Amino acid sequence: MKFLRRFLTRLANFATRRRDDERLKEEIEEHIALQTAENLRAGLSPAEARRRAMLKFGAVEAIKEDYRAERGMLFIETLLQDIRFGLRMLRKSSGFTAVAVLTLALGIGANATMFILVDAVLFKNLPIADSDRVLYISSTSLETGRGRGESYPDFLYLQSNARSFQSLAAFSGDDVDVSDKSAVPTQVRGGLLTFNAFSVIGQKPIIGRDFLPEDARLGAPPVVILSHSLWQSRYDRDPSIIGRTIRINEIPTTVIGVMPPGMRFPRANELWMPVIPTGKWQKREFRGLTVFGRLAPAATLTSARAELTTLARDLEAAYPATNKNIGIQVQTYNDYFTGRDTRLIYLALLGAVGFVLLIACANVANLLLARANSRIREISIRVALGARRWRVTRQLLVESIMLAALGGVLGSLLGVLGVRIYRATILPDDTPAYLSFSVDYRVLAYLLAITILTGILFGLAPALRLSRLDINASLKEGGQGSGRSARARSLSTVLVVAEMALAFVLLVGAGLMIRSFLNMTRTPIGAKTDNILSMDIILRPSKYPTPQSQISFHQQLRAHLQALPGIKSVAMASNLPGDGWTDFVYELEGRPLSDPQRLPRIGGVVVSPSYFPVLRIQPVRGRVFSDLDGVSGVPVVVVNKTFARMSWPNDDPMGKRLRLVMPPLNTPNAPASVPQTWLTVVGVVPDIVQSDSSEGAHDPLIYLPYQQLPQREMVVAALAVVPPGSLSSAFRREVLAMDPDLPVTDLRTLNALLRERAWPWRIYGSMFSIFAAIALLLASVGLYAVIAHSVSQRTQEIGVRIALGASRAAILRMVFMHGFRQLVIGLVVGLVASFALTQILGDLLIGVDPLDPLTFLSVAFVLALASVLGCAIPACRAMRVDPMVALRYE
Amino acid sequence: MKQKMDVLQGTLALMILKTLDVLGPLHGYGIARRIEQISRDVFSVNQGSLYPVLLKLEQEGAITSEWGASENNRRARFYRLTKDGRKQLQAETRDWEQTAAIIGRFFEVKAEDLS
Repeated sequence: MKFLRRFLTRLANFATRRRDDERLKEEIEEHIALQTAENLRAGLSPAEARRRAMLKFGAVEAIKEDYRAERGMLFIETLLQDIRFGLRMLRKSSGFTAVAVLTLALGIGANATMFILVDAVLFKNLPIADSDRVLYISSTSLETGRGRGESYPDFLYLQSNARSFQSLAAFSGDDVDVSDKSAVPTQVRGGLLTFNAFSVIGQKPIIGRDFLPEDARLGAPPVVILSHSLWQSRYDRDPSIIGRTIRINEIPTTVIGVMPPGMRFPRANELWMPVIPTGKWQKREFRGLTVFGRLAPAATLTSARAELTTLARDLEAAYPATNKNIGIQVQTYNDYFTGRDTRLIYLALLGAVGFVLLIACANVANLLLARANSRIREISIRVALGARRWRVTRQLLVESIMLAALGGVLGSLLGVLGVRIYRATILPDDTPAYLSFSVDYRVLAYLLAITILTGILFGLAPALRLSRLDINASLKEGGQGSGRSARARSLSTVLVVAEMALAFVLLVGAGLMIRSFLNMTRTPIGAKTDNILSMDIILRPSKYPTPQSQISFHQQLRAHLQALPGIKSVAMASNLPGDGWTDFVYELEGRPLSDPQRLPRIGGVVVSPSYFPVLRIQPVRGRVFSDLDGVSGVPVVVVNKTFARMSWPNDDPMGKRLRLVMPPLNTPNAPASVPQTWLTVVGVVPDIVQSDSSEGAHDPLIYLPYQQLPQREMVVAALAVVPPGSLSSAFRREVLAMDPDLPVTDLRTLNALLRERAWPWRIYGSMFSIFAAIALLLASVGLYAVIAHSVSQRTQEIGVRIALGASRAAILRMVFMHGFRQLVIGLVVGLVASFALTQILGDLLIGVDPLDPLTFLSVAFVLALASVLGCAIPACRAMRVDPMVALRYE
Repeated sequence: MKQKMDVLQGTLALMILKTLDVLGPLHGYGIARRIEQISRDVFSVNQGSLYPVLLKLEQEGAITSEWGASENNRRARFYRLTKDGRKQLQAETRDWEQTAAIIGRFFEVKAEDLS
């Protein structure tokens, strides 16, 4: 109570900045006057009486200090003093301040950018209440370790038995076509939900109603809930949408609700429909659902995992035919949705910017050490006047933290700018709509933390060194002269070595990413890809149920497009170069399949006869397809060179036969059945890149004639004689004229598609390169500063050496050796660190080894070059030292 | 050094309170004189250290102060015990007497008393 009262009074005094000094001064004067009068009465002379009175009173300044300490918040007051003093110091040496702040801003800015991205990608959760208590459940094959979904019957079992969750719901995603009179048909990301899904995540439609159990009954009229963004873009926020019928996949469906803005659960959904358990959904082997649920109050991730593992075992025992070796996975949102590679690349980049910041810190620490020299005298005087060691240290740390704070503010601005540049650079399609790159409390806390830590990190060593001065020695020396002790020099050497090592690691990382990117783009596509416009056409089975109807649609479309002016030739394919393939299990004639567990698979591309001419490819053997293939005559196949070499290494592939046994299960876009007849190889074509992430080598491929194996989903590729982009709207018009419900997707040039394929490596490679370039710049400037400083310190010594007959070359060698020693140690340390750290990048690298000698050598070369530049200027200055001037220097 | 200050401050506060209790309102010099008269060595050099302690007591509410006229008719700050201060004095006196009694008994103890 007493303490509280005293504290509050002090706080009030501090806040009102009450200056009671006057009162104390008056009291002291009166006190001394009274004592003097007393002493006079005792018979002393006036001067002596006053002197004794003052002696008896004691040290006035010390008492004032105690008095002030008693009155206000001494700590904060002196802190404010430190800050005011620090500001003066920073203003006084504005050149130093500018360099240090700029260096720190670069380091902190890179970190801010990266952390905002990492925060958006890895940490920000769904915008729902307690999103970290919502977990995602999927199944996993215990044999292959591959993750899959849950089946509807298994979901029902989990729903009624899992106690770790308040309730369970499930979703499934699928692209759907939306068509009605409001706008052109479009394909959007749609989803199926169990009717309780929105209530599990605590979301309600802003207009209309949520799903009801009746909506999920067999034979219930189809209903849909729209996202706010679809409602806005397609229906102009018309509230009368509720109850209206729109066509989804051509099925008339009633709109019953619109979700709030930003609600795109689970990822970027535009609409939701209830799961109605008919057909495939009744099968236990159809694992198309992701189950999710809110943890019960007492449950944890671990306990939920344990319980569900038991439930999965129960299912395994009850339904061995379908559930043998099916395990279960319980994951958080980020575990479930963010790929391992994504996490890896972001963490690697975060590590990279961490290194940049460390280099910046080392640089500023070196600047401070160099400047410490000129402050030795100031600090010595302060210590001599009675400043305590921790007080001096604190003063210096306050200065460094203020530097860091200035750097932090500037860096944060740079960081936000960096995020803008990032967003402007990346392809808009690739950013999931739910990502928000806003600055949230996590980003602010991170920035604050790194700013303060940075300040302490670079300020502590110089501050401790200054506060441990031997003041006798430094006052005698007069604050000039040799000043810098051997220890200080070795400290800055260590810092430079560390910078070199860190820069080495970063440059190696950047080099490996750049080489991956080059490998990716350098692999020849194998075909001419310019002037080709492509689009995806997905025919609905309800409208085009038979292969004949699909073929006739495609042929009509082809005829219409072919008639457009500016079109030379039109082809269809299941996949274009760089766009993947369809998996088939196959068998070579004369080599029957023995092990049913290990069926050989091959990538197959279904193409129309004009496909090879459009890509301007000539067969290396035999022929490509003709209009008759698949219609009459023997079934045929065309293979690429890699497949021919792989399958018949010593034989002529022409006339050899193979057959497709069956489409592998769970392959998206797999044809319902394949003719199991033998296919004769009639031609061999050059290798064309088909995979979406080529490892540099070509994949074995087979090409099948379209008429032999019609597909619902085909890509149309048209070779144009005019700029292909100008034909986009004509393409759309033609499709719409043929089928007003059919959306056109991915309308783009083939070159654009191929560019998109390489973009992650381009983006991450260039981010790595930017960070590495900053690191290189900072490290070489750091080396330059240290060498230059040491040369200027040693001017006199160098003068003596020259006067005593040292040749200019010897001086040059001396300075360069000084720099190179640090470089070499830095390179060795960096090399060892890189060996360990580049392994992390392993999975992201394409066609390049994590220990790629070329990268390591060129990085060493670049660093050495930068160091030569860093040493050259001070070395030249040292060489030109005039001994006479140098000796008079003092 | 610091510890000795604390002990001095603690006892000094008690001495101030007692002085004000016995003699009524006094200015700083008056308090210092009284304390000096009774215990000569406390203030042989450092009368000034009285003022921070007075401020502390005032901020705790044990004493209040106001301007008044000193013996030579100039402005001086007069300190007066408050009700809280009187209570505090009583409590601290009790504590002090107890402590002193205990310590006193320890000093009187002889080896044979403990056998």
